[in-house]
Amino acid sequence: MAEPRWSKIGRDLLAHKIRTLLTVLSIAIGVFAILVVIGGRGMLVESFDSNFPRSVPANATLYTSDFGEELVRAVARQPGVRAADGRRSTVMRFRLGDLRGVEEPPAGVTVAERSRSIEIVSAGDWASSEVERAFADEGVPWPPGPGEVVIERSATQEVDIAQGDSITVDAGDGELRVLRVVGFAHDINAFPAMFSGRLRGFVSMGELTDLRQPEAYNQLVVSMDRADLTRDEASRFAAHLRDDVLAPRGVAVYGMNVPKPNSHFLGDIFRAVALLLLALGIMALLLSGFLVVNTVSALVTQQVRQVGVMKAIGGRSSQIMWMYLALVAAYGVLALLVGLPTGGWWAGWFARFGGGLLNFGDAPATAPGYAIALAIAVGLLVPLAAAYFPIRTGTRISVVNALTRTGMSSAKFGHGFIDRVLGLVRGLPRPVALGLRNTFLRKGRLVMTLVTLTLASTVVMSVMSVRSSMLKTVDDVAAWWSYDVEVSYQQPVNRAAVEREILSTPGVTGAESWILHGASLARPDGSENDAPSVIGLPPASTFIKPRLVEGRWLRPGDVGLVVINTDIANDEGLRIGDTRTFTVRGRELEWRVVGIVQGQMMGSLVFTDREYLSRALGEEGAVGRTVVRTTDTSDAGQRLAGDRLEARLKSAGFVVSGVRTQRGMSTTLANELGILVTFLIVMAVILAAVGIIGLSGTMIINVLESTREIGVMRAVGASHGSIFQVFVTEGVVIGVLSWAFGAVFTYPVSLGLVLLLEKAITIPLSYEFSWSGVLAWLLVVAGISAVASLLPAFRASQVSVRDAIAYE
Amino acid sequence: MHASVHRSLEGTHEHVARRSHGRPLIELSSLVKVYDTGEVPFTALKGIDLVVDEGEFVGLIGKSGSGKTTLINMITGIDRPSSGQVVVDGTPVHALGENALAAWRGRTIGVVFQFFQLLPTLTVVENVMLPMDFCNVHAVRERESYAMALLEQVEMVDQAHKLPAALSGGQQQRVAIARALANDPPILAADEPTGNLDSTTAEAVFGLFEKLVRQGKTIVMVTHDDDLAARVTRALHVRDGEIVEETRSPLKGSGQGHG
Ligand SMILES: Nc1ncnc2c1ncn2[C@@H]1O[C@H](COP(=O)(O)OP(=O)(O)OP(=O)(O)O)[C@@H](O)[C@H]1O
Ligand SMILES: [Mg+2]
Repeated sequence: MAEPRWSKIGRDLLAHKIRTLLTVLSIAIGVFAILVVIGGRGMLVESFDSNFPRSVPANATLYTSDFGEELVRAVARQPGVRAADGRRSTVMRFRLGDLRGVEEPPAGVTVAERSRSIEIVSAGDWASSEVERAFADEGVPWPPGPGEVVIERSATQEVDIAQGDSITVDAGDGELRVLRVVGFAHDINAFPAMFSGRLRGFVSMGELTDLRQPEAYNQLVVSMDRADLTRDEASRFAAHLRDDVLAPRGVAVYGMNVPKPNSHFLGDIFRAVALLLLALGIMALLLSGFLVVNTVSALVTQQVRQVGVMKAIGGRSSQIMWMYLALVAAYGVLALLVGLPTGGWWAGWFARFGGGLLNFGDAPATAPGYAIALAIAVGLLVPLAAAYFPIRTGTRISVVNALTRTGMSSAKFGHGFIDRVLGLVRGLPRPVALGLRNTFLRKGRLVMTLVTLTLASTVVMSVMSVRSSMLKTVDDVAAWWSYDVEVSYQQPVNRAAVEREILSTPGVTGAESWILHGASLARPDGSENDAPSVIGLPPASTFIKPRLVEGRWLRPGDVGLVVINTDIANDEGLRIGDTRTFTVRGRELEWRVVGIVQGQMMGSLVFTDREYLSRALGEEGAVGRTVVRTTDTSDAGQRLAGDRLEARLKSAGFVVSGVRTQRGMSTTLANELGILVTFLIVMAVILAAVGIIGLSGTMIINVLESTREIGVMRAVGASHGSIFQVFVTEGVVIGVLSWAFGAVFTYPVSLGLVLLLEKAITIPLSYEFSWSGVLAWLLVVAGISAVASLLPAFRASQVSVRDAIAYE
Repeated sequence: MHASVHRSLEGTHEHVARRSHGRPLIELSSLVKVYDTGEVPFTALKGIDLVVDEGEFVGLIGKSGSGKTTLINMITGIDRPSSGQVVVDGTPVHALGENALAAWRGRTIGVVFQFFQLLPTLTVVENVMLPMDFCNVHAVRERESYAMALLEQVEMVDQAHKLPAALSGGQQQRVAIARALANDPPILAADEPTGNLDSTTAEAVFGLFEKLVRQGKTIVMVTHDDDLAARVTRALHVRDGEIVEETRSPLKGSGQGHG
């Protein structure tokens, strides 16, 4: 038999099952949050750290005219180059299934048969590729054999595609080719399909002839030796390759991409999410600490007489303090039993989910040891730290004081300001008035509970505002582009010819064609910015609604004058009147900035007059994209129009590389932002759960402490129903108060969150306060707090006069 | 095991009984207690001088509010005097720190309360073992048999594994007495131990006290019951914080009395 003082701990745990449950749950939530946040993040980082360097990310990618293996070897021999590889990449249209000999389905009949874009990539030998390596799953032929394609894993985010399926590719010559999907590969450097809206398929070089492509590379990926390479150095080196290695061999460079060395393009989003989650973890921890303080101080107060008796029969303060600390530690251990497995599971889920979204690759099976150790520490230390002072105070009480406590609550009523205000509220039903009075009776606990619920309410309502801000951002971005469908071509096409086809397609009300190319901007220090795209369009275009920040928009007849967006203006410190040299399709062009427009999620853009640009490039009449307005602007309508346009252009012999609808693009953007919102919602839900557990815990304690009063009320004739009403009122009042306080904080907190996200993902976001979110939460919180008080209120209503008298 | 413990308790009784009216065990001098919680300070004890010898059965009698509880709390160290001295079994109680006091009390004085005050989540026998646990008396494995022996003395062995809530008031008080005896203290202090019991049950509890006195314990008890007050060896009448009258009589009932 255990020593009785330790038995007492176990019995006390069992004697108050609901209180134990609530306390354990509130600690478990802290453990859970820490494990999911720190552990899940750690698992993601682990998978990233093992998969990203293993892929040997490129320090520079050059988009070029055709070249062969000997150039790759020449580049690889350059001092400072660790490895170089050639690739051929073409974007094609495909449909799922083997559609050879199948009648062309009427456009838009079934969504499943709509065509999509796939980037077909081939390398000399995928298995021995040394830069931006992709890794095929177990048992998948690598490199793929003739007639075979291996699909990048993230495709499953977008399309229902499996091993053994076939895809029918349109190589642009009017003949369809079927590729068999022999499995999946992971390419950490590929933009996940969910964001790019297109798939990536790996084929062997030999397959290219069959796809009507020259058996030559058009991309050069280069990895450098030095680990401490800066972006500028990499950029200068890429320019050196272009000018001194590729140009002498007659290879033209159309564009370059030099990422920040050793950083992943989704790193910013990942960091933003990790930051938010960390904030969530810390907040959940804080709140669970509050709840522990609340429960433990109530417990010690409730047992004050037992403390007195134990001291009277020889218990020292320290012995008694250890008993209660052991009780709290027992709560902690129970919480760990709940929190560790669930937290571990969800950390794994989170790592898989996040890893899938970000395409980081396989996550390790378990959370890292430090995260588990931290979670254990949190489960034991946070409650002990939170409980230490209430317990110390409670067990140091003198024996006389402890023994002469009556058990009636000693809180004073009738003095404070709030009490007087409440006294003025007349005409309320008696139980409701009593419920109100009770709410303010136990002020310390009320404050703790309110803080907890207010924090939760603030986060919930702020998340609603962040969500509406994200939606507004999507709308604002969409508002820029005043068209329904955009069609891109594999090669520049003749404007008059395509527009004739497009305008005679049913459902099309207007069309305009643009020139679209990558451009590279030479910096004074010799490095280059290859991020910008240049768009040549008619100055009077009504298909775009630019928001002018400074200067003027394009005018017909402008020569060598451009309008840039804020992205490039900020990156390069460009002002109105500045002149810079841009390289477009191998030609150096001097451009002067006459206007700056607001950039919005489309990267660095330079706008110029279409006629001027086509002349300057010597490609008169050639365009790369047509933007189209349609009669039906709904999602389905735009897709239908897209399908019709594609079919029409194909039959007229144009090779279409992509068809995107305005709503589809909004969805892609919304998806990207949606990840953040999803994580925020998870965060809000967890905090709301903590708040609700806190509220029910408080109500349970209140009922316990009021047992005697309830008995007295019953003795003087209060009905079960009215006692019930007293406690439900109390709960709802607390809930609604937390809503009111939370609503006050919602504006600054949500604005702060939006600004934080904006910084983290380097995308300008719009802000919109969500009134509907605030109203909705009022209803929800009132409902939830009513529900949270049901059980305590029911227990209260069941208190009999006899219980109250027997109660010690 | 029970039997041997029992024998050792009986042995103690014979040994102590031979030197009844031995040395002074409780010595109060110029004891003053002032409560200053009210609007004006209230003097509840006004300079009490009292010596209780080993083996005495002392009853504190007086009207409500006269200061009985205050006085007995001074002896047990539950409360502290404003001035004056409390020396119990050679220990200056008023000078002990909180922790030393608790440990000292656990071994020296068994306290019995009016409302029994058993811990509700511990069984009867665990309640009795609790003081041994706190004061580390007896080897851990032997504590239960000692506790059972004590319960046998108060005729509660059958209920040993029940929770207090399942017992009647008289039964709970007998368990509380067994708990007070757990560390074999020389002194028992009881504030109205029969105040919550009917007369028959009160009689049984009082009988138990008489038996303990014959075994050599020194008992200080507050009571309202005149019949019981008449049966203690030394009745102290308290009025307005002073001992105003004292009556001595031999211990009645079976066994040796004291004269
Ligand atoms: N904590 C306190 N603060 C102020 N006054 C007190 C306190 N405790 C007791 N008193 C006062 O001291 C006096 C003696 O109280 P005490 O409890 O000793 O009386 P008592 O003789 O035990 O009475 P009863 O028979 O009713 O138990 C009373 O007048 C009481 O009002
Ligand atoms: Mg009293």
